[in-house]
Amino acid sequence: MTDTFDHTGLPEDELLAAEYALGVLAGPERADAERRIARERVFATLVAEWEQRLAPWAAEIDEVAPSPQVWDRIADALPIRTQGRGLWQSLAFWRGLSLAAGALAAACLAGLIYFGAITQQQPLVALIEGGGHRHFVATIDTRRGTVAVVPAAFSADATRVPELWLIPPDGKPRAVGLLRADQAVTLNLSAELAELAKNNAVLAVSLEPPGGSTTGLPTGPVIATGKLTSL
Amino acid sequence: MDLDSNRSLITAALGRIPAGDRAALQTVYRLTSTKLFGVCLRILGERAEAEDVLQEVYVTVWRKAADFDPSRASPMTWLIALARNRSIDRLRASRRARNMDPIDAATEIADDAGGVDIAIENAQEHARLHGCLEGLASHERAALRGAFFDGNTYEDLASRMKVPLGTMKSWIRRAMIKLKACLEQ
Repeated sequence: MTDTFDHTGLPEDELLAAEYALGVLAGPERADAERRIARERVFATLVAEWEQRLAPWAAEIDEVAPSPQVWDRIADALPIRTQGRGLWQSLAFWRGLSLAAGALAAACLAGLIYFGAITQQQPLVALIEGGGHRHFVATIDTRRGTVAVVPAAFSADATRVPELWLIPPDGKPRAVGLLRADQAVTLNLSAELAELAKNNAVLAVSLEPPGGSTTGLPTGPVIATGKLTSL
Repeated sequence: MDLDSNRSLITAALGRIPAGDRAALQTVYRLTSTKLFGVCLRILGERAEAEDVLQEVYVTVWRKAADFDPSRASPMTWLIALARNRSIDRLRASRRARNMDPIDAATEIADDAGGVDIAIENAQEHARLHGCLEGLASHERAALRGAFFDGNTYEDLASRMKVPLGTMKSWIRRAMIKLKACLEQ
């Protein structure tokens, strides 16, 4: 957060928020603003306030009906959401369980077996490790086609974001989605990915620029990997 | 449908999405897609591309509905910002600007406040913004319009209005400061 003032009298951050909301930024400046929106609540609020100021202008844009097929395409593209996400995604829950059991791995496995028994799922699990640390624990719900990823000892990097990859036996990484250092995320697997997510496929985490790799392959270092195993 | 009930319907439907309610997303789509498609089409200029982006927008709504905080923003503001930002991302990724016709602020046609669709936000808010925009210098208003409606960058606007980039930046920044001050009066 900067406190420098423009000659015009508003804090620099407020002007940057205005420029982002108006849409005049491009390239790295725009990417940088987006990264700050994701991480800094104060800055995100400034942007939201500018969006609120400008939104009434959209009243001058005519409404136009999209083709009827658009809704069908949206419905087809919707990932299936994991139910009971509150508990699955609660970091406090996982950390609490970890403390109680004294070992994160044992706790996670116990938790997974426990919930697996309740929901009668047969999840696949991967302990994603690298450099002597366990960074994430991933569980794939094969029935729903989702992967829940809980951060264990992963520390955030100021400039890069963790991205999850699925590497089937053909060795070609497929992008799954972006992870968070501070909370569990549930990502949806496309039909193709769900098909490839089997025993012995590998999950890997690389560090990528904000927004993730744009090439379809990891561009940053792969910091951790783990093999998928059925419970 | 009256404005307030529309707003609360959209808010209520957004609130049901995080639990995986597809019908709720369809409700949001039914109530908002013609507006959001208008926004995407205005920035992108091409139906097929605008429909692609519209699809992305609603899939994002499905994923991010939990981020919407009705105490901080109106649902239409949130959705319009999402549609504008995804459209701008698409425009930037294609490395082209849609509307690059020269802008001559001196001959710029005055904004027409009449005949607008005020169902999305209340009429008072629109009238207030419109009044404040009218209070800007014509070159400032023209630059803001190019950014908001055509998705132009600073560079695009400098080129369309034939001024140096630094000049365009200070025009826009000064205009945004005046706008904020006027709206807060």
